[in-house]
Amino acid sequence: MRPRHLDDDRLYECYAAQRRGEPVDPPAAEHLTDCEPCAAQFAEMARLMDMVRVEGEAEADAVFTPERLREQQQQILRRMDAVARPARVLSFPGRMMQRTIRVSTLRSPRWTAAAAAAGLFLGIALGASYEWESRGRMLPTLVSRNSLGSRGAHLAAVPSRGAGDGAADEAFMLELETALDRPHTRELAAFDAFTPHFREIKDQQR
Amino acid sequence: MERGDLDEARDRFAELVAIHQRRASRIAYQYLRDAAEADEAVQDAFVKVFSHIGTYREAWPFEVWFTRILINGCLDRRKARARRDRWFVGGGISSTHEARASVSKRDGDPERQALARERRARVAAAIDRLDGRQRTVFMLCHFGDCTPREVSAMTGLNESTVRVHLFRAARKLRGLLRAKP
Repeated sequence: MRPRHLDDDRLYECYAAQRRGEPVDPPAAEHLTDCEPCAAQFAEMARLMDMVRVEGEAEADAVFTPERLREQQQQILRRMDAVARPARVLSFPGRMMQRTIRVSTLRSPRWTAAAAAAGLFLGIALGASYEWESRGRMLPTLVSRNSLGSRGAHLAAVPSRGAGDGAADEAFMLELETALDRPHTRELAAFDAFTPHFREIKDQQR
Repeated sequence: MERGDLDEARDRFAELVAIHQRRASRIAYQYLRDAAEADEAVQDAFVKVFSHIGTYREAWPFEVWFTRILINGCLDRRKARARRDRWFVGGGISSTHEARASVSKRDGDPERQALARERRARVAAAIDRLDGRQRTVFMLCHFGDCTPREVSAMTGLNESTVRVHLFRAARKLRGLLRAKP
């Protein structure tokens, strides 16, 4: 009775063994001699695999020509030289090195850390007290500004003006003028000279 | 190391490079399909071997150790290329063109050139369609002339797993190449 046909994997194993020059498994070799369909399958597979191998190698060899391989070898040797003989390390001048070593080997005493902590604490405390003080100074100013703002809003909301309102306006404009006379607005004194003053107009009307 | 020793080591290593260079270039080219990258991968592998020659253990032939370093480098390059391709559109001259140009220079018959081109393109496309491990195992066995045992040592895969991948790869390739284009 003839044994079953060889499957693809078995055929490939026979092919690989043959190509490596190793002996093919005897039962398989015997079967290939006796069985025509298996022999044909084997021949077809061997032809295809050889084609893959030959084409692949030919393609690679077309790219890696002998010249290119020589060039590659030279490049490898150059890189090897660079690995074997690393770049020379330049030493720093002796005095500078000594100083660097002395500085780096100095041990910081314990009181340095304590002083740093104390300084930090003092800084935070002073900063906090200053903030507290300035906030206290700012408070009345803010209050007066708010009252002025509410007054302005009130004036804008009222369309007709009474006698009391006129007096208030007058007082407000005078306040502005006195504010302009302050030292920090001296730069605007020239412009101020050309501008008619409310006070003067009022005097002329009288 | 003394200067004389270094020169001797260099000369001996140059011989080693000459012996393994062609095979290494074929494997790297099949992996990367790009001449410049394959060239660099081969160079890197040799330089790495030279600088780590002290770690070589003679349990396996030099070839196996070297090929392992080479394929690891190739795999890293493939990964890097995949990452690059995700972000940039490639536009360089492919080495397939380079190979075609070399074929044209050597072979004068245009019909034969065209046929060879077509065959190579089909083979390359078929190999490229293999699964990652199948491709690695197949290329090492087929182009690197390695036995499944050696491939097992190179890849860290079990020998029977290597055989399974190899058979699957051969079966798939046969299917792809037998089919009409």
